[in-house]
Amino acid sequence: MAVAEMRGRGWTFEGILDVDWHICSFELLRRLREQGIPITDEELGKYCMTNVDPDFPKKVQKGDFIVAGENMGYGHDHDHACRSIKGAGVAAVLCDSTNANFLRNSIEHGLPIVECPGILEATKPGDTLRVDLAAGVVANLTQEKVFHFRPYPPFLLEMIEAGGLYPHLKKEIAAGKY
Amino acid sequence: MGKTVTEKILSRAAGKEVSPGDYIEVSSRLPITLSAGMGRGAAQMEGAGATRLFNPQLIHMVDGHTGSTASHNAGESRTTGRAWAKKMGVPIENIYELGRQGIEHVVAGDHAWALPGEVFFQVINGHTTTLGALGAFAITLSYGSGAYMATGKTWIRVPESVKVVLTGALPKGVIGRDIAEYVLGQIGPAGAAGQVMEWTGPVVDALSMDGRFTLCCNALFYGAWTGIINPDQKTMDYVRARNSGPFEPLTSDPDAEYARVYEFHVSHVVPQVVPPPERYHVFPVSQYEGTAVNRAFVGSCENSRIEDMRLAATLLKGRRVHPDVILNITPGSVSVLKQCIKEGLMETFVEAEALVASPNCGMCWGANTPLAAGDVCISSGTCNYPGRMGSKDAAIYLGSPATVVASALEGKITDPRKYL
Repeated sequence: MAVAEMRGRGWTFEGILDVDWHICSFELLRRLREQGIPITDEELGKYCMTNVDPDFPKKVQKGDFIVAGENMGYGHDHDHACRSIKGAGVAAVLCDSTNANFLRNSIEHGLPIVECPGILEATKPGDTLRVDLAAGVVANLTQEKVFHFRPYPPFLLEMIEAGGLYPHLKKEIAAGKY
Repeated sequence: MGKTVTEKILSRAAGKEVSPGDYIEVSSRLPITLSAGMGRGAAQMEGAGATRLFNPQLIHMVDGHTGSTASHNAGESRTTGRAWAKKMGVPIENIYELGRQGIEHVVAGDHAWALPGEVFFQVINGHTTTLGALGAFAITLSYGSGAYMATGKTWIRVPESVKVVLTGALPKGVIGRDIAEYVLGQIGPAGAAGQVMEWTGPVVDALSMDGRFTLCCNALFYGAWTGIINPDQKTMDYVRARNSGPFEPLTSDPDAEYARVYEFHVSHVVPQVVPPPERYHVFPVSQYEGTAVNRAFVGSCENSRIEDMRLAATLLKGRRVHPDVILNITPGSVSVLKQCIKEGLMETFVEAEALVASPNCGMCWGANTPLAAGDVCISSGTCNYPGRMGSKDAAIYLGSPATVVASALEGKITDPRKYL
């Protein structure tokens, strides 16, 4: 997977998005468990953002982006929300700001988060965006606007390229590092 | 330019001077608290081919989230957790199972596992920040837990700090929880996004350790990674009474640089209520006075320490819970429970016809006496989003233990000050 540069459509969401409600119901985990349905990224992806936009999982295409406002991934460090976004096929989340737990959990799941103040206001639903993690650039090709962010350091690019923290750790262990 | 306590702790942990935005690799020599059912961390390690813990002696497994309930796979996770601990060489005395259990953050505080000037990790959840009250940089490893347990290392992007200065004095009937919510209402859900909330000022100095734990527990609702309080004599006395290990406290320099400084004069603050469903819409209790409730909960990592229990007992003494209401009181740990018994608080609770559950997170996340559709609950728990405490068709109002108990006595949301 080439994550250094990505291209897709942007889906915008206003307001504070709680991991446990707006992004993906926390209560869903209990329900799936009780029904004996395996909790996979793809299964959670079917419910991604449905408390805000019931049709989102049907509309979003693989490689698209979620564009959000302040403190994206509000609330607990529950990473089912990151899995739900990833499972829906979203390539990265672009936001005005986020919090450390959502950022870390997402990246460790192989889902890049890009903090770019002003990005929500500058994006219209369906705009085509290009994101370069290594260069620290978001380009809105539709609106012809460019944003800069602090580039991802090499070790995080490597983690994302590997598909997340655990596939990366597996490689390291196989190579005898631990 | 001086440094904040957080920058100093992370500089020491990284072995070099660090500034906000730097990426560093960090380790901790302190105990790591895990929920007792280690199914997920074990699976993460196994999936990556990791067969050893980097240091089994540091692993402390605390049965906090499920406790004595049958829900949330409690029985199964206890069995697999025990088996995993044995296989991995976790010392048996590090297992705080039923009989020694409690909310992970409360148990960690009871033992002062976090120490001033140190980095402190817990596997479970965002409220690990509670331990920032001891002057530690306390964060959850969350999804990265299995990797940390295998390697003893994690990555940190050094955060900026936000300073909150609280001046004035706490009015009667207003406690740390009300202040935490009041500040949330003022600075909003992104008021410290990705940053550290450093609580300072005369009100924080005067606050008990239990009140300080509550302030730091709330960090994630401002978007903060964690909360921290510069250690003072009160911190040192608290830690020394519980942990004889060596440590060197660190404090912020007077000229440290903050991303923002918020100052609040709290003498006029009244008891606060957070109505459903948004966590950050905070109002004075008067706004919701009279709203009928049929469920009430005193407990959770926010408010289940001995001071909270004493406050509940002050209101309940010689009274009875309203017949329409079930009041669940859950002490945060066996230590808190023991102290409740010693002080006669349990008798007050039972005489008042409150339900006393065995120590755990319990009702806060629907793991005991869950809410049914149509229930309206006043809770000192952490969250009010639909489905948090059971049915997603129940309503959750949040408030201090005093507000919860006053409301339970009257069957409707009530300003507790008339009972105090």
